[in-house]
Amino acid sequence: MSRQVQEAYIVAATRLPTAKRNGMFRTTRPDSMLAHVLASVVAQVPQIDPGLIGDVIVGCAMPEGEQGMNVARIGLLLAGLPDTVPGITINRFCSSGLQAVADAAARIRLGEADVMIAAGTESMSVMPNMMGNKVSLNPAIFAKEENLGIAYGMGLTAEKVAQQWKVSREDQDAFAVASHRKAVAAIAAGHFRAEISPYATRSQMPGEQGTVRIVERLCENDEGPRADASVEGLAKLKPVFAARGSVTAGNASQMSDGAAAVMLVSEKILKQFNLQPLARFAGFSVAGVPAEIMGIGPVKAIPKVLAQAGVRQDDLDWIELNEAFAAQALAVVRDLGLDPEKVNPQGGAIALGHPLGATGAIRTATLLHGMKRTGGKWGMVSMCIGTGMGAAGLFEVL
Amino acid sequence: MSSLIVRKAAVLGAGVMGAQIAAHLANADVPVVLFDLAAKEGDPNAIVRKAIDGLKKQSPAPLMSKDRAQYIDAANYDQHLPLLGECDLVIEAIAEKMEWKEDLYRKIAPHLKPGAIVASNTSGLSINHLAQHLPAALRPDFCGVHFFNPPRYMSLVEIIATTDSDGAMLDRLETWLTTRLGKGVVRAKDTPNFVANRVGVFSMLAVMFHTTRLGLGCDEVDALTGPKIGRPKSATFRTADVVGLDTLDHVVKTMRDTLPGDPWHSHFNSPQWLLGLIGKGALGQKTKAGIFTKVGKDIHVFDPAAGDYRPSTGIVAPEVADILKIKHPAERLNALRAHAHPQAQLLWCSFRDVFHYCAYHLADIADNARDVDFAMRWGFGWNQGPFETWQAAGWKAVAEAIKEDIAAGKTMSAAPLPAWVFTREGVHEAAGSWSAAAQTLKPRSDLPVYRRQRYPERVLGEAADAAGTTVWENEGVRLWTHPQDAGIAIVSVRSKMHALGAAVVDGLLTAVAKAEAEFDGLVLWHEAPFAVGANLQEVLEACQAGRFDELEAMVAKFQRASMAFKHAQIPTVAAVQGMALGGGCEFAMHASHRVLALESYIGLVEAGVGLIPAGGGCKEFVLNAAEIAKRQTGGEPFNAIQSAFQTIAYAKTSGSGQEARDLGFAKASDDLVFHPGELLHVALCRARALAEAGYRPPLRARNVAVAGRNGVATLEMMLVNLKEGGFISAHDYRVGRAAAVALCGGEVETGTLVDDEWLLQVERKEFVALLKTAETQARIQHTLETGKPLRN
Repeated sequence: MSRQVQEAYIVAATRLPTAKRNGMFRTTRPDSMLAHVLASVVAQVPQIDPGLIGDVIVGCAMPEGEQGMNVARIGLLLAGLPDTVPGITINRFCSSGLQAVADAAARIRLGEADVMIAAGTESMSVMPNMMGNKVSLNPAIFAKEENLGIAYGMGLTAEKVAQQWKVSREDQDAFAVASHRKAVAAIAAGHFRAEISPYATRSQMPGEQGTVRIVERLCENDEGPRADASVEGLAKLKPVFAARGSVTAGNASQMSDGAAAVMLVSEKILKQFNLQPLARFAGFSVAGVPAEIMGIGPVKAIPKVLAQAGVRQDDLDWIELNEAFAAQALAVVRDLGLDPEKVNPQGGAIALGHPLGATGAIRTATLLHGMKRTGGKWGMVSMCIGTGMGAAGLFEVL
Repeated sequence: MSSLIVRKAAVLGAGVMGAQIAAHLANADVPVVLFDLAAKEGDPNAIVRKAIDGLKKQSPAPLMSKDRAQYIDAANYDQHLPLLGECDLVIEAIAEKMEWKEDLYRKIAPHLKPGAIVASNTSGLSINHLAQHLPAALRPDFCGVHFFNPPRYMSLVEIIATTDSDGAMLDRLETWLTTRLGKGVVRAKDTPNFVANRVGVFSMLAVMFHTTRLGLGCDEVDALTGPKIGRPKSATFRTADVVGLDTLDHVVKTMRDTLPGDPWHSHFNSPQWLLGLIGKGALGQKTKAGIFTKVGKDIHVFDPAAGDYRPSTGIVAPEVADILKIKHPAERLNALRAHAHPQAQLLWCSFRDVFHYCAYHLADIADNARDVDFAMRWGFGWNQGPFETWQAAGWKAVAEAIKEDIAAGKTMSAAPLPAWVFTREGVHEAAGSWSAAAQTLKPRSDLPVYRRQRYPERVLGEAADAAGTTVWENEGVRLWTHPQDAGIAIVSVRSKMHALGAAVVDGLLTAVAKAEAEFDGLVLWHEAPFAVGANLQEVLEACQAGRFDELEAMVAKFQRASMAFKHAQIPTVAAVQGMALGGGCEFAMHASHRVLALESYIGLVEAGVGLIPAGGGCKEFVLNAAEIAKRQTGGEPFNAIQSAFQTIAYAKTSGSGQEARDLGFAKASDDLVFHPGELLHVALCRARALAEAGYRPPLRARNVAVAGRNGVATLEMMLVNLKEGGFISAHDYRVGRAAAVALCGGEVETGTLVDDEWLLQVERKEFVALLKTAETQARIQHTLETGKPLRN
């Protein structure tokens, strides 16, 4: 059982606006995006000397190429943090950013650290495909029928979930349109403003007479949500992953670039610097499911963390449930009987995008700033994970 | 004669023709500036940009590969006229309004580069009249160049001189259009609609007239006037739909307005029912309804009598179909004339009136009868022009028959046939073709460019070209030499569609051996198609008899033949045009060098019949991938193998010679030839050049790093997803996996070093294993029976 010695509190959480793949961060490197959110989160708590940071844990689902080489350490040095601050990159695919928050909290709860940063960064623009720079599968996967699920593309797993949980194409499309509608409304109302650290991109382009021209652009808003999304429009899209399937580009999450960072501290630090926390970290769980229905993972993870914390599902006020696919998100909502009104009130990954390893940290920032605005006590971030897992993090908003 | 140098060209007008002409110039490595009006709001080049984007989506593709579009710059008349100062050739292709053209010519004149050729693509307006709107100094460099739609694919370009056009300029232009753009040039006189449209549109009017007169349906007339008489599938009325009924009516109106003295003038009207369709906005393909329309999956045809559409049937009466099967042209035409069936009468009367029309007008519209015949072949896709059809059917007898019909008042015009018709036995003979204007036989053009065509298209009655000297032959191939270079042997396949059966493979092996011993090089050349692949009938028979050892030996021999091409001691050059599929593609890949016609459709399509390439095709991709990997830091063969797998598993076929390079069937250093007639000339020159450069064959490949079993597994992931997603069948999976194994060099450890013999063994083993499956045998049988692939 828990050997917790102290509580962990979140005192700051911020993120970049999320860009479409090959969109506004087309020329922005993932380590630069990370450096920006790390510098921003540190700046939001000026009372704390950055030298106190025990570790920077960064989630990244494809930690290679431009985001390889322990991107955490590179990002924190580029952010101007003291070289005494260490950094580690972790990977559990789509839950990496949430895992970073959980791991950072765990270090504080065990008394090993008093100030931690958890973050996530992912540029899907720099990845040639969904499987990284070099794809290579183990022949053993194909030797046994039961391992074939490892080889399934994520879209195909969503089709399997749609079949097994009987989620219709119409419901998926309606869910996707609702996601866009909620996100567009939230942007218009300025609901994301508190959590976003705007970023000025600088691109070096060929200019006149052999000179390099700098193109600057201030990026303040998420790029993915579409005001003109409609059920009629989505209905025209062809299924991508199965000939007679229901999962389309329109009812799946968007491929994106993004980053976020969260600062966690112990109660001691909270008191020492008289900080007002956003929330208390209340628990985390991961659980496994068959790889071929990976999208259903939260069904196992959510009850598990609620049981650990002794919180009833009905007590949840806000649930950020990652919309990898409308099919799996709807299956999770229905299977667990989650209150649809409380799930993704400002839209989800179908509209806002899903920069894999960054998503957990990004949605933590959304949850905590959102609940700060609307009130409520218990908030949750949950997602499904490739090859068959689910993760859930529980936050008590203070 | 000095050459025409076109470093850059401009096309004025980004409509259907202008944009496609620009595309074809870009295909031929000529950068183009494409002009149109400035858009009223937004991006001033929006109109042109939209046209350029459209080029990437059109079918058939105007561009030989999509990335060619980048060589077409968008421009507008308001801002960019000074760009004309860089252009050596300016082709005007704006709407057919004399005032617009006049206005444009005035605008561009001050900006033209001195010495630039300016040419109009007008299809009907007077070139001499247009020339008057250019300053006198520019007129020697002005003429008409009339392309046909779609310009990449239709061979014909009519060059129309004005009274001021400089003869040397016209020769340079004709040379350039022929060899650089690959076109068939006909010199037309400056008469309304020039040659091809004048005859072609009259032919359509004649067919329409007789259709109405005889009360036939448009569907049955199309069934009669298509491939059954050597014309395109779109025949008469479907062609009208494709052209656009409004456009057709516009052309007919031009004839009505500009040819008041034509004895057929009273027929220069679209039928009332057709005008009715135009009135209703049923303009043909572009409005999805015209003479034909689609109702669900069915085609319906307009019935003028009922004033409505009915299901299209298009049945040719059996007795008429029997007549059309008669081989002898004279007997066939006589039988049509003699038969009372309205379908037979339609054909006879249409032929007769077109012959009548062409003979009457030959003196005015064309230099000679050959030009008319080629114009109809190249511009309208007829297998034979009107004069050669007439001559084949017996010149004198047909002339008499026409005369009788004129006298009987049956013809569309009472104008008599010109006197020369009755003094001759035909219009084409060895010495040349008849010029009605000059009353003499005219030989072919002596422009040097035509010497590049070793076997040019000939009209019926012309002298045949020398067949060359046979060195050796068997049932499958002929090994011979052409006087152009008697030191280079040529091997030509003789089988139907140039399928590669046992006799062909034996023949090729012998041909290579003989060429090595007695010649400096070997060219593999014959008319299109290059080859449609292995002889599946032979393969299936062996399968059904269970002779799999024999099949394996057959495959091994096939591999020996391709390896013989690759490792011969002399250069081997494959001259490819048309389809080069399966084994044909593999032989081409193994040659030392390839000379590709622009229209080369190359692919390893074995997956369609449940097989994988096993004539060394997979091996070549493995070697290529290993070479690419060697040149890259930390390179791995798998990267290139992945795209090769897609190419083979999806049986991708190139849509052009350039795409064949892009897909890896050919190399960047191979030649791309735009005029198919020049292929043999270029291949012989290339073989000679390789020989003179001290040709050494490549060594057998050793130490080839392969993607191995991790590669197979990674490709299998793709197959698992396709199968689970319901996109492919279990047998598709099996075929795909076999391709993966062959392309990854077998199920060995990743990075294993192997030699080419191992790679050949792997692909052969996988091939034979597939042949043993019932599904693959069923696919082969189905394809042999129906010509279509079976999905099982």
